[in-house]
Order: sequence, then C-alpha cells, then structure tokens
Amino acid sequence: MAVKEVLVYPDPRLKEMCAPVEEFDDSVSELLQDLVDTMVAAGHSVGVAAPQIGDLRRAVVVDVSKSKLGKKQENHGLMQMVNPEIIERQGAHVVREGCMSVPEYTGNVTRAEAIVVEYIDENREHQVVRTDGFEAVAIQHELDHLDGYLFLDRVSSLKTDLFRRK
Amino acid sequence: MQHFALTIIGRDRPGIVSQVTEILYQLGFNIADSSCSILGGQFSMILIISNPKFASADEFSDAFHPLEENNLSVFVRTLKPGGEERAELEGDLCMISVYGSDKPGIVYRVAKELGDRQINITDLNTKLVGKQDKPVYVMMIEAMLPEGTEIETVESWMNDLKQQLKVDISVRSLAVMEL
Repeated sequence: MAVKEVLVYPDPRLKEMCAPVEEFDDSVSELLQDLVDTMVAAGHSVGVAAPQIGDLRRAVVVDVSKSKLGKKQENHGLMQMVNPEIIERQGAHVVREGCMSVPEYTGNVTRAEAIVVEYIDENREHQVVRTDGFEAVAIQHELDHLDGYLFLDRVSSLKTDLFRRK
Repeated sequence: MQHFALTIIGRDRPGIVSQVTEILYQLGFNIADSSCSILGGQFSMILIISNPKFASADEFSDAFHPLEENNLSVFVRTLKPGGEERAELEGDLCMISVYGSDKPGIVYRVAKELGDRQINITDLNTKLVGKQDKPVYVMMIEAMLPEGTEIETVESWMNDLKQQLKVDISVRSLAVMEL
C-alpha cells in the first residue's frame, strides 16, 4: 500500500503516450493498489490514471460511488482497469471538468454520454462494461491521461460560446 | 508587484489583440487573467497586467497612444495591493438562464434577487437575439451558491419574476466534475 504524489502539469510525464501492459504480473497489481490508495488519499477523488503518479503503463482506477455527483446515479463502484479501451460511444454532452493534475482551472468539455469500455480487471479477468453519466465521464477523462491528453486539450467552448448564433 | 487592470475597446477588426499585446510584450508586462470578446460590433479586452519596472500608470500610459490613434479606447486602473488575487469563493456553482421578449429591467430584476441575498455572480453574459421586430433577450448567469442554498430555493426566488417579466428562467447546478 502506497500513496503516491499526484503529478501536476507541466510534468512531462502527463503528456506521454502510455504503453499497454504486456504481462499482468505482481507489479501491475501493486500499481493498481497504489492508484486506489492515491485516489482515496486525495479526499477520495473519483479516479486516478497511472501517468498521474508517474507510471507510464495503461492502467486507471475509477470510483464515483463516494462523490456527491456519482452517488446519485447507478454506478459500478471501484473499477480497476488495465489496458482499458472505449469500444463504443453514444451521445454527447458538455460537462465542466477539473483535474488534480491541473489545479485551479475548470473547463467545458464535450464527452460521450454513454460508453462501453473493455479492460482487464484486478483479478486479470476480461470485462466489458456499459456505463453512462458521471461514471462514463470519469472513465473518458482518466483514459485520456493514458494518451497524454489533459482535459485542457478537450475544452470545447468558452463560456461565451453559449451565445454564439448557429 | 503593482498590478493594473487594462481595458481596451474599439470597433472589431482582425489584429487588435496582436497590436495590444505587442506593446505589452515590448514593455515587459505580464498578462495574468484576461478576457476578451466581441460585444455588439466592439471588441473588448480586459486584462490584469503587471511589470516589475512600473509602480504607477503614468510611467507607461503613453505607450498606448498608438492604440488611441487606431480608434481604440484605452483605460488603465491601478489596483490596490492584493486586488489581483481572487478571493476564495465557497459553495456550488449554478447556472441561471433567463430569456424572453426584450423589455427593460430583465438584468436588474434578476440581479437584484441575487444581490439582495449576497449571492455572488461570477459570470454574466447577455445577448439581444431574434428578429428586429421580435427581439429576444438572453441572459446567462453563473453564480456561486453558498452552502445550504439549494437550486430549488433559487428557483423559488425567480418564480414571481417569471410572471412579472414574462420571461423564462431556469436554474441548474453547474457541477464541476473534479477528476
């Protein structure tokens, strides 16, 4: 069990493309545990991606069940994901996001409303999960980290865009 | 370091931002927060700037003369110490949409409901849209609700206004997803 420091931009590791996990060995289990511990220690944030703690492997953890927004919706509780991939997206909505790695800034980001995500879980089992709402947003946000994207790369509108005529 | 608020406004055209920021860059100014937008046919810029070389606006305001010559109005406000720092606002953001046939008092009446209750408006935009003979007024307000003030409560404040002004008002929480 280890709580890691959450990296903050401009740490270059946040802009790296992460590598797929080839072999699910103990070090991957340790990584998942570190991610969970770090997430919980950060006032139970709703997710952490491996590059945020300086590990450039494709792994994230998400748990919206403890957050004010996530509690209101059906959710899958703690999800530990290795080599996650979104294989289906539906709908689009704009959400205001913030990120532990980019403190004191929030932006409007367009995300899919519902997704199907495929991954290997902490028990090395293959999972395919459909989810929507806040949990889907959280997963999309964390998976972006694995490709070196921050929500800043996804900001779709300035506030004033609300008024732009079609 | 002394900070200044710089406001520039003038007929919109390409090149205003580059002309303004070239002067700031040449003088060695830092631009902290800024917001620039088109309002009507005017481009407006508001910037918080600072420069370790300057303690008073008199020392650099002449540098903006070329802007004035290009029909831009320039105003420099000298901030009091700490005036560049945003106070920590506690609470939850909400978004209030107000729209309806244009008539006097929409902004004032809605803002008064909030101001009288010490609700802080963090962002406000208005726009006149629709056809010339049927103008529609649209206002979006982002406000910080202190803890304990629910969306439903804000809606209840707006109910009478809806009737009186014959406008539509909706309130929703602007939850920031902290990830």
